[in-house]
Formats: sequence, C-alpha cells, structure tokens
Amino acid sequence: MMNSKKRKRTGFLLILPLLILFLGLTIYPLIYMIYMSFHQYSLASWEEPRFIGWENYREILRDRTASSSVSFTLFLLFTAVPLEILLGIGIAFLIRDVWGERALRSSLIIPMTIPPVVAGIAWKMLYNYEFGPINYFISLFGLPKVSWLGSQFFARLGVLLIDVWQWTPFIFLVIYAGLQSIPRDVVEASLVDGASGWSAMRYIELPLLRPLIWVTLIIRVIDVLKLFDIVYMVTFGGPGSATHSYSFYIYKVGISFGWDVGYASALSVILLLVVTILTNLLIRFLRLSETLGL
Amino acid sequence: MRKLTITSMIFIVLVFGFSLGYATELAVWSSPDNADALFELAQNFMQAHPEVQIEVTPLSWEVLYPRILQDITAGVGAFDVTTWDLMTAGAIAPGMLDLEAFAQEHPDLVDPDFDDDDFIPTARYIYGYWGDKRIGQPFYGAAMFFFYRQDLFQDKALQEKFQAQYDRELRVPETWQEAKEVAQFFTKKFNPDSPTEYGIGLMFPRTHTLFYMFLNFFGPYRRSPEGIEKFGEVDLDWGDLFTADHQPAFNSEEGVKAIQDMIDLLPYSSDPLGSDYGETLEAFSKGMVAMVPQWTACMASWQESPDLQPFEEKVGIAIMPGKAPVSGGWGVGINAFSKNQEAAFQFIQYATSKEGDKIQWLKYRVGPTRKSVIEDPEVIADAPWLKDVYLPSLEGASHRPRIPEEPRVEDVLVGTISEILLGQAPNSIETLNLVAEEWKKVLSK
Repeated sequence: MMNSKKRKRTGFLLILPLLILFLGLTIYPLIYMIYMSFHQYSLASWEEPRFIGWENYREILRDRTASSSVSFTLFLLFTAVPLEILLGIGIAFLIRDVWGERALRSSLIIPMTIPPVVAGIAWKMLYNYEFGPINYFISLFGLPKVSWLGSQFFARLGVLLIDVWQWTPFIFLVIYAGLQSIPRDVVEASLVDGASGWSAMRYIELPLLRPLIWVTLIIRVIDVLKLFDIVYMVTFGGPGSATHSYSFYIYKVGISFGWDVGYASALSVILLLVVTILTNLLIRFLRLSETLGL
Repeated sequence: MRKLTITSMIFIVLVFGFSLGYATELAVWSSPDNADALFELAQNFMQAHPEVQIEVTPLSWEVLYPRILQDITAGVGAFDVTTWDLMTAGAIAPGMLDLEAFAQEHPDLVDPDFDDDDFIPTARYIYGYWGDKRIGQPFYGAAMFFFYRQDLFQDKALQEKFQAQYDRELRVPETWQEAKEVAQFFTKKFNPDSPTEYGIGLMFPRTHTLFYMFLNFFGPYRRSPEGIEKFGEVDLDWGDLFTADHQPAFNSEEGVKAIQDMIDLLPYSSDPLGSDYGETLEAFSKGMVAMVPQWTACMASWQESPDLQPFEEKVGIAIMPGKAPVSGGWGVGINAFSKNQEAAFQFIQYATSKEGDKIQWLKYRVGPTRKSVIEDPEVIADAPWLKDVYLPSLEGASHRPRIPEEPRVEDVLVGTISEILLGQAPNSIETLNLVAEEWKKVLSK
C-alpha cells in the first residue's frame, strides 16, 4: 500500500514541472484570454480594463474586416486543403516504384522544410511585377505581365499557390509513408485475382489509407484557419481586404493596432471555438475515434 | 585550502562589485533607420563618459512600437532610451519621461550649448511633444520628396516634344494636375518615344504606406486657403485628416478629389497596388521611371546605382507636387521607468545636439532637425537642396494623426482607399462617410 502511494507521489513529482508549465503557459493564458474578451482593454489607451459584457462579440458581427477575413479563410479552406490532399495523394502514388524515387522523395519535401517567413520573402520576389521570374516566363509566351500582388483575383491565387506549394509535401509524406506500410502481398493477391492497378488502388490501398487521409485533413484544416505568416510576408492582407486571413486580422488588432487586448481576445476565442468544434465534428463524422482508437 | 577559498571569494566579490559600481548600462532601442547613427553617437558619448556603457538594439518598426508599449504599460524599464515614430506619440506619451520637468529638477545636467530654440519649430513639436509634455528630442527629420530624372527634364528634344504635345513647357510638376501630364508623357504605353517605361513610381499597397501616400494628395487640398477656411487650422496632434475640432475631414469633396488624383495617376505607374517601398526604389534605380515620391533614405541606394550615374546630373529633388508632403521622422526619448535617467538624459542631449545632428546627416543621411545644421557651410556644400527643398517641405508638411488610436483608424481608411483604387468601392463622399463613422466609433471607445 505504502509502496503504491510512494510510486504515485514520485510519478506526480516527475510530471509536476510539466504540469506547472502547462498551467502557466496554456491554461492560465486561455482563461485570461476568455476573461479579457469581455473587457475593453487597449494598452494604447492607458485605461484599466473595463467590463463590457458581450460587446466585443457583437462588434465582430458588425466588423467588415472581420467578415472579409472569414471569407478569405473559407476560400482557402475550400480550395487549398482539397487541392493539397488530392495532389499529395496523387504524387505519393505516382512516384512509387519510378526510377529515382528516393531522390524525388527527398526533393519533394523541400518546400515543407523552408520556414514560411523565408518562403514568403522568396515568393514575394517571384511575384515581383517588373523583375519577378514568374512574369518573365509569362512574357516569353507573349502574354501580358500579371499583377500578382495588386489585383484581388491574383493576390488570392498567389497565396493559394504558396500554401499548396508548401503543404502538399506534408500530405505526400504522410500518404507515402502509409503506402509503404500496406502489405504488398494483399495488393499482389488482388492483381493475381485479375484486379487492375486502378481497382487495387481504389478498393484496397485507398481504404487502408483513409485514417491517414482524415488525419492530414484535420491537421491542414487547423493550419489553414491559423494562416498568418505567408499573408504577413507577401500581401499584408491586400489589395483591399482580398487576402486578410482571420489569424492575420487577430494579429493586426492585437499587436499592430496598439494592443487592443479585449477585441483581439474575443476574435481569438471565436477562432478557438471554431477550430475545436470543427475538429470534433470531423472526428465524429469520419469516425476517427473508432479507426484510431481515440 | 581554506585560505585559497577565502582569497578567491574576496577577489570575485571585489571584481564583481567594482564592475557593478563602475558602469551605468544604457539600453537603447532604435528603429533600423536610426541605428547606425545612434551606434556612432553612442561610441562618441562613451569616449567622453567612460562610466556609461550603451547598447543600441535595432528593432524593426513592427516590433519596436508594440515592445515600447508593452514595456511602459507594464512599467518594466527594459529600455532606457528609445527612438519613437512621430505617429506613436499619443500612445507612448504617458510612459515617457517629461524632459522639461526633468531638466528643471536637474539643471546641472543641462548642456548650456544645447540651444532648444535651434530646432525647426515643426520638428521641435512633432518629434518632441504630446500636448504640453516634452516626451522626446527631435532626432530624425523627414518628409517625403519628389525625386525626378533631372537629365530627362533638361533634355532639349524632350522639352520640345512636351511643348508640342501639351502646349506648355516641361518642368518638374508643382501640382498633381501637372504631374498627371508629365507622367503620361514619360510613360511608354502613351508615348512610345518616352525614354522611361513609366512616368511615375507609386506605392499604394494595403499597408501604412498607402495611408501616408494619401496625405501627399489630400494635404494640398486640406492646407489650401479654402481647406483651412472649411476645416480650420491643423492640430499637430490630430493631423491633417481631422478638422480643427477633431472631426474627420477626408469625407469631403476634397477627400474624393485627392483619391481621384491618385486614380488618375495609376496608368502611368508600374503595378502601383502591388508595389511598396522596395519596388519603387528598384524601378527608379534601374532608370525605368521618370519621377518618384520617396523618403531621403532611398538616396543612399540610388547613389550607388550604375543606371543613375553621374548621380548629381541625373537625379533631382523637389518639393512634392501640391507642396504639402507627408511628414515622417523620429524623436528620441527616455522611459519613465528607466533606472538610469540621468545618463539617458545626457546621452539623448548629446545625440540631438548640433554636433550629433550634423554627424547624422553627413554620415548616415538622417534628416537634420536643427536650423543651424541646415545652414552649416559644410552641410550646404554637401546638400544645397536641404535649404531649398527639405526645410520648406518639413515646414509645410501635412501630418498623420499622432493620437493613440492612430493604427486602428489608419487601417480602416487604408482598407477603403485600397478598395476604391481597386474599383471595388465607388470614390464618393458616401464611401468615405462610412470610414468616418468607423473612425468616430473607434475614437468614442
């Protein structure tokens, strides 16, 4: 009995530092954020926080920039994420067993290893209207230069392209690893039984990969909802409010506008709720708890 | 062994104690624009005051302002001295040391040759005061200027062609109306014989750049006799976008005209909505553009450009068309929570002295804020345009708001102007009224 108590105490002591860090760096800021979201508090105003109830939340509904940032984030969610998943799966299947597979595999994951801030600087140079290589290649075909950062359509397309370029390798890597773990004899047996390569992929490999696909989907959905760095580095939300992502808007309110802590907290609480609800819905809808034993 | 331990301990305590008592360490935060000059000024100051150690930390604009705010609201005192952008004056003022009150309390620290009246009056206020409180000393004077290709404007053949086409002589534009014609003349798309691809380099991205660029166009209307009559005198804390009684002034016929001037110039510029500082700087540097509104900081890069040589012959500097360029610039002040206020006071006094102001300009192109420096023979020989172009630009400049809510109201206006330039919103008083309503809401919080 004593031994068990002692073991429990030792175990508790061992996780205590982590627990303190978790409480201090995650739980406390979370509670503080929720608390501040009901207050009027900006560091630039030099006034004490003032309780204003739900006013910050009501303000979000009236805020034009907030709604346009939701619109751009949804645009990315419904374009970038499906594109990345389709391309990632496609590439994983296509490079299997081709000559130079290893070299291809290594080079394909390079974009994912580049810090988004560095990628942003590089893409901004690529998109440069006068001196950018992309417009140079376009001009070789006799086509007019494209204002990648100065038109609403192309700026949105530009951010979409960067996201797809950077995160398709992630999907590819996970699916490719999953493909390696599928027993070859199952696939070979189906081929011996007369299944075509397409049928084997559709009815054997893809169903076996489904849990991985759903997990990558959830990770990418969360990532897109948090998209900040590329927007900050390449378009700064413009032109107009074409590429204002929701997280970028939170940054502007929270930092650039002079630490409007109250309103930024309310915006963040909404984001947190959306991410949590969406993730849980996906887990339930896709029955991931059963598949992954969650 | 025991003796050795005790001796070592005494040695350590003595060395540590001596070093603690010896040096006052000043933490100086600076924007990158000011950092090089501050490094040298700090070196000079440390030679004269060996008891003071100064560490200058450059921080980008996006980082510096939030960190200053964070520090002074928390009362930490992580920095002793900082350069501050004139627009942030209202937000940081409560956390900055009142230099006039401090000088009265410490008359022994005041340099008798400092000569506060030597500062250009506008600079003295916008880089020094918030209301009645002296929160800084003027450090970096700046207004936007109109750079142009002097060699092209002096070209006889081009002058004749312009005369034939527009029935007036080719000259550096003094109004935005004139600028439109000249810009068209120098744009290849509209004049295949133009030596440059574009007439003007404009930067209208959705950043704070668009906010200050708008003032270059709105300022001339706001500061005209009709504008003063309609909106009242400009309050230097609230800036040109407000009326004398602190109501938005841009939601007016004048605001619509200013935006229309911007729209009219779009065809003569390379990708104006996708360009910022770097793009316009590069385009002018490569000789692709005939005219460009820019800050003095660009000159260092252009002076090295092979396409702009000889620089003195090829590049001219003029007052912005409309003669009400937007002001920029920095003050330097002391954290009210600094524990080294005396050393900090002496340092910023030296950094903004006549000697410091002259070094800053001659070596680092940091705009002078003192009249005596602009009239200094060495400075005149180096840059005669300071007297004819820089001084009137700074004195007649239009100003952004310096109120604490500036970043928020700026973003609202920038978003709408960007939409108007894109053609997503009409350029009308009704559109601008919506912005004005938003501003009032922000200000009433």
